[in-house]
Amino acid sequence: MERIQLAPGVHLSADPAEKLNRCRVSIHFTFPIRRENATAHALLPLLLERGYAGCPDMTALTKRLAGLYGADLEVDGRAMGARRNLCVSVTGIKSRFALAGEDLAAAYAELALGVAFHPCMDDDGFEAGALAIEKQMLRQSLEDELNDKRLYCARQAARVFFGESPMGIRQEGYLEEVDALTGADVAAAYAEMLRTASIELMVLGCTPAQTERVAAAFLAELAAVRRAPAVLPPFMAMPRQTPVRRSEAFEMEQAKLCMVFTLGRPMELADMAAFRLAMALYGGSVTSRLFLHLRERDHLCYYCASSFQSFTGSMTVSSGIEPADAARAEEAILNELAELCCGPITPDELEDCRRGLIAGLEGVEDSLGGIESWYAMEIIRGGAIATPADARAGLAAVTEGQVRAALRRFSLSVSYLLTRKEGPAHA
Amino acid sequence: MPDAAGSRMQAVLDCAGNERYTLPSGLEVLVRPMPGYAAAHVIAAARFGSIDLRFALAGREVDLPAGAAHYLEHKMFEDQAGDAFARFARTGANANAFTSFDRTCYYFTATSAVDESLDVLLDMLTHPYFTDETVEKERGIIAQEIKMYADSPDWRLITELCQCLYHSHPVRSDIAGSCESIAQITPALLYDCCRAFYAPANLLIAAAGSIDAERVLAACRRAGLDKAPAAPQPVRICAPEPMTLAARQRTVPMAVTKPCFGVGFKEAPLAPGDGRTEALYDLILCCICGGMSPLYRRLYDEGLVNPGFGGEVLRVDGACCILFTGESDDADTVIKLLQEEIEAQRARGVDREVFALCKNEKYGQLIENLECVEDAASQMADFALMGQTVPAQVGMLASLTPEDADAALQTILQPARMARVDILPDGSAAPAPDPEQETED
Repeated sequence: MERIQLAPGVHLSADPAEKLNRCRVSIHFTFPIRRENATAHALLPLLLERGYAGCPDMTALTKRLAGLYGADLEVDGRAMGARRNLCVSVTGIKSRFALAGEDLAAAYAELALGVAFHPCMDDDGFEAGALAIEKQMLRQSLEDELNDKRLYCARQAARVFFGESPMGIRQEGYLEEVDALTGADVAAAYAEMLRTASIELMVLGCTPAQTERVAAAFLAELAAVRRAPAVLPPFMAMPRQTPVRRSEAFEMEQAKLCMVFTLGRPMELADMAAFRLAMALYGGSVTSRLFLHLRERDHLCYYCASSFQSFTGSMTVSSGIEPADAARAEEAILNELAELCCGPITPDELEDCRRGLIAGLEGVEDSLGGIESWYAMEIIRGGAIATPADARAGLAAVTEGQVRAALRRFSLSVSYLLTRKEGPAHA
Repeated sequence: MPDAAGSRMQAVLDCAGNERYTLPSGLEVLVRPMPGYAAAHVIAAARFGSIDLRFALAGREVDLPAGAAHYLEHKMFEDQAGDAFARFARTGANANAFTSFDRTCYYFTATSAVDESLDVLLDMLTHPYFTDETVEKERGIIAQEIKMYADSPDWRLITELCQCLYHSHPVRSDIAGSCESIAQITPALLYDCCRAFYAPANLLIAAAGSIDAERVLAACRRAGLDKAPAAPQPVRICAPEPMTLAARQRTVPMAVTKPCFGVGFKEAPLAPGDGRTEALYDLILCCICGGMSPLYRRLYDEGLVNPGFGGEVLRVDGACCILFTGESDDADTVIKLLQEEIEAQRARGVDREVFALCKNEKYGQLIENLECVEDAASQMADFALMGQTVPAQVGMLASLTPEDADAALQTILQPARMARVDILPDGSAAPAPDPEQETED
């Protein structure tokens, strides 16, 4: 991956990815989130994805993408601690597969730039008809979050964990604010994003000449924006606290348990490799303690997995359990963590986890998605950009002591349980 | 064909080509080397899925409880020395498996020690090991999996629709079975399943990425899969399934905040290997309710459905149905409009522009699925299990016409063969107070 600066706060990353069948043009906007416009930013991706000035009609845009052999236009908003990342991307097959000889890369770039820089707006901001429809979609998605119990449990746990922290500003927006949102509100949020965001143009799977043309078109669009890049908030972490336990009861078959832990202070980039290995060992792989002990040995759950969020210095453990086993599962999850912090770790289990992670990193550049997500995360995290090879070298050097030290920093903050109505309450 | 178009088609064929072998044992092996890739993905598929509840083998009829294939999938990872996950961990491979209605697939991705990982995969398939104790210990985990799916409204819609559409076809049963049915599973029963369905002639291996045919074939030889005596093939036994519905409508209360609906149309079963009709049905669904259809646009704009609304073809041996599912506060209106659109397209034919664009999309999807090693191997295995190849599928897609769709529409999606399922909030899922506002316990 080659990366160059195009302007203050604006970079181009390009990888010709010759062996792959598809190419991709994406524009990442990363910016500090504010509570006041969180719901506008939840709505913005929905509005951008349905059309742009050059193709304002949603159905016509879908037809345009189908004409490009089913090219995929996505506008995704992601929370990264107190930062937001909005990514506009168009992915599709390379021109060599186009049956009529079309220049597909140019078409993808035109679409991505159109969506990112020319949304359908009038003097009052985003167009009223589209706004009303997408507000309804956002409202529905917020109202039906309980239909997916696992997601709902994770969101409720995060809401308790983050409280009023900027890291807890909801990516999905706030239901009570949806009705009052105006086209002008969303347009203001969009304009602020264009003005202040760090911007990364990623061009993957294109030839150098194609990349050059995409970059030139992108710079022409950017020239019309009065830029004032903002400083991104640093990594943060919630302070340690006495664990809070919450539960809700529904008519459901399987209980869901979500536990959130904090590091107490922000993660340092130098520790990333140790945290990766620590997660694989604790609950992030099929060779982890949570999988091997809670599921395979004790049969406490169908799934029990941990994940680490570097931007917020937090770890989440999610599990699906028999309602009657909730207290036992929570105790076992905590015991496994304590065992890794203080008990023996065999060289075999540590090496199994390391080997699995390294193999995964070796395959990162075998797919467009792998390349994009690896480098986008590296760039958004900041600091020196590690290649997958750098990360493999980092993992190879992690010691058992570093893994223990990483895990010892976690303390439980929140335990959230969704359980059956007649089932036992939380421990 | 003009030169430019010919070279483009050649690019597709180059990219989609694979080597194919049938060993004397009957085992099929497909390999697609992908130069420049770091990883290899290997799938071993057994033609044994949840619909295989009754079969004949060498003159003997065997009945299985629902969920047997899925239970077997869990237990195949265990051997006398421990479990295959641990052995894969030693090679650095990432392994897993899944069971569907008509197959069980075991697979791994590896960037090094691929030969050793192949040995682990083939060894676990050829050396099953079940005891009362190991079979018993799995029951709890599988019961948890069954309960997890029971809480999923999307999954419940599909299973309830199948139960409405079919009187006796085993597609009515959940893939994992029920807590009651899996209670009947014993080591002897699992060994019977292995003998019948894990014989080489009932298996297929598909490998793509940093691998070549010689390595796969050598692994097959090491595992003794090349010269095994031809075992008798199991024959699925299905009770005759009439074209009538088992039930026209069902309502299921669940802990959801948003109602979900599904409608299913029972269609005539497709002949084995008939990928053409299935692809045609897919295109018809795109025309009726895909993102380019006027119906989708109206439903979306009026807030009657969200982007999750859509149609799919469910096709297995002896059963074929077309299902439409989604979330809506006004399912009656959605279903009424859907039926009106079906009748309108039946009367006037599918939209020619949309049909052509849907074909374009499907072509792009075929190319996309050849990009990463996992998709490449999966697509190769899927088509091979259907008696197809990727290049043949590209050619078949090109041959489909809107007139074919118009003709098919005269017989499919008939109101008399339509069943409906509604999942309604049971009242237990009242909106929770905002957890940030609650006091601490």
